[in-house]
Amino acid sequence: MLQPMTAKELEYVADSMSNEDLLIKQCTAVSVGASNQQLRQMCSQMLHTHQQHYQTLLHTLQQHQSMAPTQPQQ
Amino acid sequence: MQQQYAQSILPEEDLAYTVLSDLKRVTREYATAATEAACPDIRQMFTNLLSSTLKMQGELYQVMQSLNMYNPASPVLRQEIDKQLKEYQQTQQKTSQFLQQRMGGQPQGMQAGYGHMVQQQQQHNQQNSHQPYYM
Repeated sequence: MLQPMTAKELEYVADSMSNEDLLIKQCTAVSVGASNQQLRQMCSQMLHTHQQHYQTLLHTLQQHQSMAPTQPQQ
Repeated sequence: MQQQYAQSILPEEDLAYTVLSDLKRVTREYATAATEAACPDIRQMFTNLLSSTLKMQGELYQVMQSLNMYNPASPVLRQEIDKQLKEYQQTQQKTSQFLQQRMGGQPQGMQAGYGHMVQQQQQHNQQNSHQPYYM
């Protein structure tokens, strides 16, 4: 049973999506820019994980969307 | 192919270091978010994200260390460990006495439980006085 998300939780989820987005871009830069193969491979794996993280955060936001009140609560 | 790698603005160790330090920062943020979450599902999500990020940070660190991109700090001197160990064994002893005083009138169960732990600790100390032991 889900309960409505708090304003604080929304802030953390939004900040986390910014962080994951930055990491996706950084990992892309290393996976195409580094000369060391081990490093390129590692960052390309991490890239996928960060994309999954982003998706998880987005999905949670969607799940809580319908539950959120439209008027301020007492 | 070589030209493709030369496109980056930063040297590769700087790029890798940037990713590593951001993974460290994000790990802390997920830990904070998990402790401050009110919804159980959101706490669980942040806990999972924390564990996954921590794992990546550790793996990247290992790779960077093996490529000599990151040098670990030099080992601490034995005397320093001895000093801390002695101090915290005394702290543990004092806390144990404090608990015995305060819990003197408490039900047997609690007292016995803690007493057992202290006893184990003392035996351990006798067996090996140089190995740190965490409660």
